[in-house]
Amino acid sequence: MTPGQIALRALIVGFIVSFAIITGFAYTTLLERKVLARLQHRVGPNRAGYIPLPRRGGGPERKLLAGFLQPAADAVKLFFKEDMTPGKVDRITYTLAPMITVMPAIILLAVIPWAGEITIFGAEFTPYFAIAPGLNVAVLFLLAITSISVYGVVLAGWASNSKYAILGGIRASAQMISYELALGLTVLIPIMLADSMNLGDIVAAQANGWFVFRQPLAAIVFFIGMMAELQRAPFDLLEAEQELSAGFNVEYSGMRFGMFFMAEYMKMIIFSAIIVVLFFGGYRGPFVDQLPGLGFLYMILKIIFFLFMMIWIRASFPRFRYDQLMGLGWKRLLPISVFNFIIVAVFIVLQEEGVFDSLLKLLGVG
Amino acid sequence: MSEMILDDQPQDDGTAVNQNPVERAAALLKERFPDAVTDDTRDGYTGLMVSADKLVEVATALRDDIGFDYLSSVTGVDQINDNKMEVVYHTYSIDQGGSGLVLHVQVDRDNPVLPSLTPIWPGADFQEREAWDLLGIHFDGHHDLRRILTWDGFAGHPLRKDWKEVFYEEDHKPFGSRWPGGEVFRAEEKTVYGKNVRYPEGWLPTGDEYDVETEMYTGITYTRDQQSGMKTDKLTVNMGPQHPSTHGVFRMVVTLDGETVIDLKPVMGYLHRNHEKIGERNTFIQNLPYTDRLDYLSSMSNNHGYVLAVEKLLGSTVPERAEWIRILMVELTRICNHMWALGFLLNDLGALQTPMLYFYLERELILDFFEEAAGSRMMCNYMRFGGVAYDLPDYVREQETISFLEELIYEHIPAVLDQGDGLMTNNEIVRARSIGVGILSREDAIAYSTAGPVLRASGAQYDVRRAEPYSYYESLDFDIPVRYNGDIYDRYLIRMDEMRQSLRILEQVLPHIKATKGAPIVDGKPQYAIRMPNAGESYGRVENPKGELGYYVTTRRRESNPDRYHVRAPSFINLTPLGKMCEGHKVADIVAILGSIDIVLGEVDR
Amino acid sequence: MGSGSVFIVFILMALVSVSAAVMMLLSKNAVHSALWLVLNFTAIAVLYVVLNAPFIAMVQITVYAGAIMVLFLFVIMLLGAEQLQGISGVHGTERYHRAVAFVLVALLVVGFGVVIFNGGTGGGETAVIDASPVALGLRLFEAYVLPFEVTGILLLAAIIGVAVFTRRKKKEA
Repeated sequence: MTPGQIALRALIVGFIVSFAIITGFAYTTLLERKVLARLQHRVGPNRAGYIPLPRRGGGPERKLLAGFLQPAADAVKLFFKEDMTPGKVDRITYTLAPMITVMPAIILLAVIPWAGEITIFGAEFTPYFAIAPGLNVAVLFLLAITSISVYGVVLAGWASNSKYAILGGIRASAQMISYELALGLTVLIPIMLADSMNLGDIVAAQANGWFVFRQPLAAIVFFIGMMAELQRAPFDLLEAEQELSAGFNVEYSGMRFGMFFMAEYMKMIIFSAIIVVLFFGGYRGPFVDQLPGLGFLYMILKIIFFLFMMIWIRASFPRFRYDQLMGLGWKRLLPISVFNFIIVAVFIVLQEEGVFDSLLKLLGVG
Repeated sequence: MSEMILDDQPQDDGTAVNQNPVERAAALLKERFPDAVTDDTRDGYTGLMVSADKLVEVATALRDDIGFDYLSSVTGVDQINDNKMEVVYHTYSIDQGGSGLVLHVQVDRDNPVLPSLTPIWPGADFQEREAWDLLGIHFDGHHDLRRILTWDGFAGHPLRKDWKEVFYEEDHKPFGSRWPGGEVFRAEEKTVYGKNVRYPEGWLPTGDEYDVETEMYTGITYTRDQQSGMKTDKLTVNMGPQHPSTHGVFRMVVTLDGETVIDLKPVMGYLHRNHEKIGERNTFIQNLPYTDRLDYLSSMSNNHGYVLAVEKLLGSTVPERAEWIRILMVELTRICNHMWALGFLLNDLGALQTPMLYFYLERELILDFFEEAAGSRMMCNYMRFGGVAYDLPDYVREQETISFLEELIYEHIPAVLDQGDGLMTNNEIVRARSIGVGILSREDAIAYSTAGPVLRASGAQYDVRRAEPYSYYESLDFDIPVRYNGDIYDRYLIRMDEMRQSLRILEQVLPHIKATKGAPIVDGKPQYAIRMPNAGESYGRVENPKGELGYYVTTRRRESNPDRYHVRAPSFINLTPLGKMCEGHKVADIVAILGSIDIVLGEVDR
Repeated sequence: MGSGSVFIVFILMALVSVSAAVMMLLSKNAVHSALWLVLNFTAIAVLYVVLNAPFIAMVQITVYAGAIMVLFLFVIMLLGAEQLQGISGVHGTERYHRAVAFVLVALLVVGFGVVIFNGGTGGGETAVIDASPVALGLRLFEAYVLPFEVTGILLLAAIIGVAVFTRRKKKEA
């Protein structure tokens, strides 16, 4: 393909994926509210939008899918709310901060593979379906964009000129740096196992078994680091309601407030996609080789599973304290991931040098 | 237990051995301070009259030598007829239990100055501030004698008998007709201040004159800390009054070094309505529903303390069935309250409402029962002098009452407690967040006059139901749980323990409820327009879920209104050591420590 | 991409990075300075992409824009340094600042002069290398293994030094 065609394809796919993610983010909020409600003996939102089903033999009609328009109602509410700018804020930074928060979340979408090699309406997508397929430093790209996504939160905290907000901002910067190290080191393990930084290669390398089965420890560390990176409970210290009332976003209102949540839920989806790609076989599943379109389905199902896990954890656990969070990051996760990394590296080298084969021969097994 | 203390004391009076500890202590004090200590000989009063100049010595002797180490309550009383200001101290002995020794101190009303007891009992801190605020009694030597319940620009001291509120009508209810000549008039036309409120001289709405905030922040340095190598700013954060986890409109002025708390000052009074002045205006029975609004989560227990105090004055008896119903209600309230407290404690630790909502399920059932019995779910107003208002209902939720209660007590509540144990007690994060945080030692817990679960979690096995039994608690078989570490986790566990003990009590109460079905629930005819037969004072104290709740009531003969009505609010006094408990901990711990104290602002601010 | 579009991107990014650097120096607010620096780093990362070195570009963003500048912001916010009004308030050090600035500017001018009069640093002879991660790794661990290890030891020493320093401070306090 010519560069022009590549650009055009990226544009079209990018439009479709972004649109899907924005819809998906809205329905993730609904999923979260519904699941949380069910876990807490509640019903959850059930007023905005339902399909009325007449009950046989009269009586009040049954309501199918009650509440499915709730995200739309929320969006309308947020858009029409007064968007206040408090008096003594740093105006430019205050306005920029929500945008800076959302942008990395959308940029991250660029490299995530949604399905394998596939032909849709005569258009071929090789080597896999993504906005920018075949980037040979895709994993690094993810890390790079993740690392700058903290700016929005930090700047929101600082620009608000409020004590709660700045405490949230300080917490955010410290937390992100701490957990990025463990996260970055853990990401190296699928790279080493697949011998590539290309996400398509990493998925392909899991054809004979997901990496989570070969490296469960790495998957767990990645999941914890990911929760911390996403600021999800029990790591939601920067918006800890009970302590900092709302932390970094306490001075925001209207859609600028909504944008922080937009970023949070979009990143939830994207990070779920990343962990699925790195450890849970990506778009691979039964019969995906014969029917590549199934890749989308598997991807979405796996993402929903991780979303559910995150919501479940949020409903179940109290929050860490700041120093405990730092202790967990630096004293537990970082050493674990360093040693795990070293051990995996050594084993891979030993395997390539044929040490295991000769050992087996020595033992008389091979 | 009392013998142990007696042996330590020099005995020159052989009959003293037979006396109870209070009389014995009184005799010892009179002997040691013959000039300063005399019996309170007023009609209907008990305890000792102590002269102000010897008060500190008397209190020290009482605490160190005689073993009355617990100052429960400090009450200021305006004796306008004698032109005196009186302060009443209720002291108890944690180890011996039993009733308390009451000290009365009278000073000149025009210049009411007393020595502060805060060096001896730091728990007197807030209570002395309250007496200063509401009655204008000056405590010499108090380190921080500021207003506490009213706002700082407030003019006058509202509990003084000659202070009139803005829309003053009459001294006592029932007020006269508002349409005496067939024509209605508004209260503001009758007020002594005319149509508007009167502001103190020099007061500006901007607060320039009364810059209380500066006073609040004194001792907090804004300058950079040059001592240690790092030059970091101290951050002063106002947590509250609008804050999601201060359990209401409570404010803490927190000074932070990074995330570490170096100073915390509680500020309260945002919900202050001068409950006690209203109580003095009300007739005795009119005041009952007002007590509901103190600790609005446990209105039944609040009723109980108040009716006990008034019944002592009236000398009325309570029929058996009414007593059993009272215990049933009060223990259900305890379970209700602890469920709420633990749910919110976990919420403060960051658990997203799940534990709270799990507890709500059973709390709903208890509230349903209250609603059927009293007509209201939270503001029950159920007890009456000499009994209760109504007999138990026949059906709750279309289920026969006894079987409903049996199901509740034998099945639902134990199940939810076990579930709570399983989900929370051994949760790794709960333990990490609460063990070793907010420690209050046994000595401090007693010295700071804390009560209830806070006191018992610090290793002092003191419960009014056992120390000075009321109602039928003496005949019931239950334990007083006690824990020894005094941290958040122990305060959590002790509430779990107490709910289980309450269940034990309820199991014993149920057969009596069944057996006395149809028996009278009130002594004689229900009394509405009470006139006190005798003058005197009375102190009714009960073990409220949050701690010792005491009502100090004085009255004159043939009066239908209390002369002085004071509430010893456990939430309020338990807050005294909050600053000490939070020091050195992190921001996140503040809310957890506050949650583990379990306050209700309706009671704190009164 | 054709060389034309490469040139356009280069000019654009060069402008952005230079003006961001100037704004960083000029802005009074420390946090704004830090933000301009982030923009500068990002523009330089794009230049790396243009130079066909995506790996370096990603590392530039991760390490400089992501980690180091977040730390900077953290320190600025923690110390409240954004409120400091100008550097002239610090007593007695002004002279040295000027002297140092003068020397640096002089060096810069000399450097530019040398480059211009020598006709660039041998432009056109730049080694076109394979900048893929694999090639980079091989080069780093084969040709330049000694400098790499020395850098590692230096960084380790720095980390241990920091740990020792903070520890001593804590004991005194």
